[in-house]
Amino acid sequence: MISMAFTMLSHDGPKFLAMVLAIAMAAFLTQNQASFLVSFLAMSDSQIRDVREADLWVMDSSTECFDQAKPLKDTAAEIVRGFPGVKWALTLLKVDAPARTEAGKLSSVTILGVPEQSKVGEPRMNIGDSSVLDERDSAVIDPGGMALLYPGETFRPGMRIRIHDKWLQIKGVSNASPPFTGFPIIHVSHSTAIQLNRAESRCTTFVVGRFEADADRGKVTREIRAATGWKALTREEFEEASSRFYMDQGVPHLFYITITVGLIVGAAFSGQTFLMFVKENARAFTTLKVLGFTHGQLAVMVATMAGIVVVLGLALGTMLAVGTSFSAATMPFFRSLYLPWQVTLLCCISIGLITLITAGFAFKKVLNLEPADVFRS
Amino acid sequence: MSSVPDLTGAVTCASIWKSFGEGEAKVDVLRGVNFMAALGEMTFLVGPSGCGKTTLISIIAGLLAPDSGTVSLFGERLSLLAPRERILFRRQYLGFVFQQYNLLPAFTAAENVAVPLVAAGWGRENAIGKAREVLTHLGLAHRTELVPQLLSGGQQQRVALARALVHEPRLIICDEPTAALDHRSGESVMERLATSAIHPDRAVIVVTHDSRVFHFAHRIIEMEDGLIRSSKKIESLNQP
Ligand SMILES: Nc1ncnc2c1ncn2[C@@H]1O[C@H](COP(=O)(O)OP(=O)(O)O)[C@@H](O)[C@H]1O
Ligand SMILES: [Mg+2]
Repeated sequence: MISMAFTMLSHDGPKFLAMVLAIAMAAFLTQNQASFLVSFLAMSDSQIRDVREADLWVMDSSTECFDQAKPLKDTAAEIVRGFPGVKWALTLLKVDAPARTEAGKLSSVTILGVPEQSKVGEPRMNIGDSSVLDERDSAVIDPGGMALLYPGETFRPGMRIRIHDKWLQIKGVSNASPPFTGFPIIHVSHSTAIQLNRAESRCTTFVVGRFEADADRGKVTREIRAATGWKALTREEFEEASSRFYMDQGVPHLFYITITVGLIVGAAFSGQTFLMFVKENARAFTTLKVLGFTHGQLAVMVATMAGIVVVLGLALGTMLAVGTSFSAATMPFFRSLYLPWQVTLLCCISIGLITLITAGFAFKKVLNLEPADVFRS
Repeated sequence: MSSVPDLTGAVTCASIWKSFGEGEAKVDVLRGVNFMAALGEMTFLVGPSGCGKTTLISIIAGLLAPDSGTVSLFGERLSLLAPRERILFRRQYLGFVFQQYNLLPAFTAAENVAVPLVAAGWGRENAIGKAREVLTHLGLAHRTELVPQLLSGGQQQRVALARALVHEPRLIICDEPTAALDHRSGESVMERLATSAIHPDRAVIVVTHDSRVFHFAHRIIEMEDGLIRSSKKIESLNQP
């Protein structure tokens, strides 16, 4: 019966192919878009996670996410340090500035100052050592920045970048996580960052710190907030706030729409084609009924046909999605792109369920075929 | 209404009424048909187009329910069977030959013939093997692996005949088996039918208005306007 189902299905090659491709398209689109969504959401708080040492973040009350921050007064770190339950606190300076290479390539960049003593926020390195930041006018760049500012080039010592009117030596490539903004991430020493901070007189973007091990974190942040009027958040709270900020901008909706359209168009097209297939094979199905196929046997046939289509389609679509995410991940801006297995599972289950419903309709169509029509031409 | 079913016949229909449509459009297609087909015989059901022949055999096969009247096949009242049992009964006891052959276009001749066996739960290999045997018997040994599209009409109808015989049913119902064929092919199909299907424990009903093949009949039952007009026993002139 299973081989009969396959023979009938593959006899109508174009429809068979159309159904498999439609399911594959739905599987690919949903997984691809869901993986982008997951990866973008991961990017929305990546820079917070990159400051590994800090679990306390203090910022101006109007600051909503890492990328857009209003500076604090320069005594802020000292003030935060004074609260009970705070082990240490120091200034993090983030500067957004236009940059230019010797070849004339332009881009806005995000500059992060690494404190000379504590090295808090120091990047992990792909090429070179972060100790180069101690050297005068030196910087390290992230892989996304390399790709954007030096397209087609590989890192070599002696590369230079001009920020405002200052030339910096690029002495290494960091492993900084891709930021949501897509801007290159340039790490410099804190003092260099201050020199590049032309748009602002204040040099404290965030105060980052650490709670005492036994501190009541909620109490500490509440006290800082009450006393200073600033926003004091645990790392987790700030990550969540940053993600929510981007989600509220409507970024995910684009993905939701594509995912929904992919599911509906792919599954509906495939389902429609399947119903058409059953209709065109009505005579064959009617004959099978008359020759003694029970409802159970007909159900097995229809289910087998739907199963073959959905398994082939899902396999093809998933292969495409995995392939795409691997090949995209070789591009610096998408280097954090990944396809979590949960996404694949969820997409396959949804498409499987939609197919099951369609197969149900198709089976109903078969059941409703009038056996006596077998004598009519 | 009161004729007693004759259990000695393979097929016995008593006072069958059947209408289609409702109200104004209601048409009485069968108006109290009494019909019998005996074991070991080829019973021809003849009559003008539209007189209700196909409707009658649909009812005999259990594909349509009569409005009233009783049908019994080999002593079994079809209307008393549960739907599933009716399917199983049909699968075991009935074979069909259709005017349009109704072969499955995706399947080879052997696969088509194997369908009733697969339905009955045979394994694929055994079913195909048996199907090839029957096809060989019907002179199609060299055609078993071809799809219907590659066969002539006469060959397709012989494949259909093989499908009607493969599971050794006790009643074979043929609706206009030669109507789509030229004279020679029709004659050949009827010859195969006569030699293979006639069996002391089996009945064959052939619906036709092709008078060229009437000489194969043991009995000719003539229908007109939803009623049986005559039933003639044919003396064995041409019987094999
Ligand atoms: N399902 C149906 N609905 C309505 N009318 C039908 C249906 N089936 C058959 N008829 C009508 O019943 C009459 C007898 O049909 P049929 O049994 O096919 O005749 P025959 O096989 O003798 O040519 C015809 O007038 C036909 O139009
Ligand atoms: Mg007819």
